[in-house]
Amino acid sequence: VRGPPLAGAFKERPRKPTAFRKFYERGDFPIALDSDTKGNKIAWKVEIEELDYLYCLPLFFDGLCETAFPYEFFARRGIHDMLEHGGNKILPVIPHLIAPIKNALSLRNRQVICITLKVLQHLVVTVGEALVPYYQQILPVLNIFKNLNVNSGDGIDYSQQKRENIGDLIQETLEAFERCGGETAYRKIKYMIPTYQSC
Amino acid sequence: KKSEVSGVMPKADIKPKSIYRAKKWSGDVENLYRFQQAGYRDEIEYKQVKQVDMVERWPETGFVKKLQRRDNTFYYYDKQRECEDKEVHKVKIYVY
Repeated sequence: VRGPPLAGAFKERPRKPTAFRKFYERGDFPIALDSDTKGNKIAWKVEIEELDYLYCLPLFFDGLCETAFPYEFFARRGIHDMLEHGGNKILPVIPHLIAPIKNALSLRNRQVICITLKVLQHLVVTVGEALVPYYQQILPVLNIFKNLNVNSGDGIDYSQQKRENIGDLIQETLEAFERCGGETAYRKIKYMIPTYQSC
Repeated sequence: KKSEVSGVMPKADIKPKSIYRAKKWSGDVENLYRFQQAGYRDEIEYKQVKQVDMVERWPETGFVKKLQRRDNTFYYYDKQRECEDKEVHKVKIYVY
């Protein structure tokens, strides 16, 4: 008797073209790429304080689905700069960020998931409890990948050092969600991820 | 929160007399690193070139927050340290 076929929970989904790529190629974003000796850096043509966050930030989050250079780099660094310097302009935009985050996580692409988790850690530290109502939309995919750790015996797992081990990253992200989410955060996380232990 | 600003007026055309490299990280080295990443020697040259008398800094750490480059694009820097130990020896310290 053969077992049931694989459901494909870990299988990568096909990627659709993103609005971020379209807008970038049109030249709508006020950013320029600058190469220096350390690597690449993003230079802004207008001040971040003058940007319309309601328009720009969801577009940058849409770029999380990208894996090709320079789209992936611009999306990642752009989000980082906008979250770092946004202040209270970020709060009203949060509902518009959830759909792109869900899209990025649902691709099941390892690289995209790693980057999205780091972005989520930055986001929850910035906005705190404002993200808690959306936990039940973000966490289901994390529940699938939570145990994706490499069993290398006594070998060295370099992905841990480079912060690319998905299991560890998910654990870090959930702990950040719990620390920054207030009193109800743990309950919401536990509801979606029953095996999570409080930190 | 309003970021702290430094209010020292730039003196016209001051040139440094000597230069040496940083050996150990400190807050001043971090700020110099940020100015040099943006294409300036240090805060004095930035104020001379840009004709400003204040530089935006993070109030919590005192590190430079935002700089305008010579091509008028903006560089934004993190609140925390960005200059890694392996980059410290590349930071130039100018003596006037």
